[in-house]
Amino acid sequence: MENKMENSHEITSAELKQAKGRSLAQETWRRMLKNKGAVIGMIFMILLIIVALLAEFIYNYDTDIVAQSASSSFSAPSAAHIFGTDQFGRDIFARVLYGARYSLLIGCGSVAFGLLVGLLLGSLAGFYGGFIDNLVMRANDILYAIPNILIAVVIVSLLGTTPLSLLLALSISAASSFARIARAAVMQIRGQEYIESAYAMGLPTWKVILRHIIPNCLSPIIVQVTLAIGSNIIAASSLSFLGVGVAPPMPEWGAMLSDSRQYIRSAPWMCIFPGLAIVVTVLALNLMGDGLRDALDPKLKK
Amino acid sequence: MSDNILEIKDLVVHYETDDGCVNAVNGLSFSIGRKKTLGLVGETGAGKTTTALSILNLVPDPPGKIKSGSILLDGRDVLQMTDKELEEMRGNDVAMIFQDPMTALNPVMTVGDQIAESIELHQHVSSKEAFEKAKEMLKMVGIAESRAYDYPHQFSGGMRQRVVIAIALTCKPKLLLSDEPTTALDVTIQAQVLELMKELIRSQQMSMLLITHDLGVVAETCDDVAVMYAGKIVEIGTADEVFNHTLHPYTEGLFNSLPNLRERGEELIPIKGLMPDPMNLPEGCAFAPRCPYATEACEKTQPELTLMGGTHCVACLAYRDAQFSLRRNHNG
Repeated sequence: MENKMENSHEITSAELKQAKGRSLAQETWRRMLKNKGAVIGMIFMILLIIVALLAEFIYNYDTDIVAQSASSSFSAPSAAHIFGTDQFGRDIFARVLYGARYSLLIGCGSVAFGLLVGLLLGSLAGFYGGFIDNLVMRANDILYAIPNILIAVVIVSLLGTTPLSLLLALSISAASSFARIARAAVMQIRGQEYIESAYAMGLPTWKVILRHIIPNCLSPIIVQVTLAIGSNIIAASSLSFLGVGVAPPMPEWGAMLSDSRQYIRSAPWMCIFPGLAIVVTVLALNLMGDGLRDALDPKLKK
Repeated sequence: MSDNILEIKDLVVHYETDDGCVNAVNGLSFSIGRKKTLGLVGETGAGKTTTALSILNLVPDPPGKIKSGSILLDGRDVLQMTDKELEEMRGNDVAMIFQDPMTALNPVMTVGDQIAESIELHQHVSSKEAFEKAKEMLKMVGIAESRAYDYPHQFSGGMRQRVVIAIALTCKPKLLLSDEPTTALDVTIQAQVLELMKELIRSQQMSMLLITHDLGVVAETCDDVAVMYAGKIVEIGTADEVFNHTLHPYTEGLFNSLPNLRERGEELIPIKGLMPDPMNLPEGCAFAPRCPYATEACEKTQPELTLMGGTHCVACLAYRDAQFSLRRNHNG
């Protein structure tokens, strides 16, 4: 009995020691949980991701999402159709839920792809400086000079109105902003003494970049990721609204808004719900981004 | 095999910037014997750190360029090594302790991981084994093993410097380069850290190059002393020779600017003027403009390092006159 007691005591003291050594990630997580807005945003995003993943199993794309039934067109929100139906009698609730797939896929996909390319080019530019830096950053400046929407329109008209070409178009502008952020962060870290000390330890350059430089540059990049997903969802919806994004009848939120234009007076629910979906999703992402930025800012540490 | 772990001959390092060429190290030669500690003394900008970085072939390029000279480490020329050989040498044969422990550790890695990194790299063991060894190293420098999971911001300055020392010593290097290891620490911690370093160096039979501008630290730790001025050695010898039989006017100036324990009321005598601009060194002796003994000849000719007896060398033209001696030596 006594033995057991001692054992359990040992475990707790070991656990305590572990708890003391909190990593930056754990510390950030703890501070983020104190921020109500960030927590609400995070919960909403988790729910949305679950919905987007499950939508395929709940609804059948052919019968529930795109099948038309003239008899039930323009019905106002009711128990049968809680968000109402559109001009073809399609259930807007189902379409909004299903549409989360497109918005999240395009938002996250374009940011992920842009992050990969931008981080690689930006850190090379920041690390080596000189010619490579000039090459990457001047090319970047050229991209900056052209409006993003214009680039997207060109790419989509070249590749066709599919979600994939929209994703590609948006990732180009994401890559250019990530390259800037990564370059600035790497330049700042590159001159630190622990980088010199890593070299003095005998680490090859690629290991220094991967193990010492990039982990120290992550915080501004993580914040930008959450904010960029939000702005890319809006951009994707705007492009679909203009007819150069996801083509109807796919239930993309922007495309649904575009459909609803003509009926805004007779059937306002057709634009209210997809519009709300966009607003709430982007708001949730921005709340999360703000929370992360505050949590990662060492000046706000208490 | 030679008796010396390190032999530097005629090292010249320049920083070529847009504004001009900075002559950081100009024909520097010295050597360190096995298990010996050499103190490299000089004021800010004398080229001490550049010298240390040259030994690791880590002078930032661009703008830094090692122009000429040779650095023999255990008989092998560091400047001729391939990248692969350099990576094997760094951390394993030669390790460096950096000046500021607050910035010399990676803030997002636990200290255990940072020590283990070097072990993993050079001894080819699993990461688990390396971490166990890292804990042993921490214990050796007087930090509890359980703190291996902590991050640098959870340590005080003195403890961080201990961690830096642990990182440098884990692979049992033959030569340790310490770049002002105690400058950023307060005086009580300085003494502890120095004591620890002395002890570890003795027990592991290492040689050390101690870079400092603190003559007190040199007196306490070093066998030999080299005094550096404007990228050159002006005086070199055993600690006893340099401290008690000072030969170079610059060394004398350094001692005069230290407070005297016995006569506390005495005023300090600073060395007048500033070190010459390394982009624009004078034609003759670099110290001549500030030297109280300078003659016309000093402004024209560069003095050579000449042996004055024992192992004591000095680079000063005044000793052409056999009668010459410094004022300090008259009084003492």
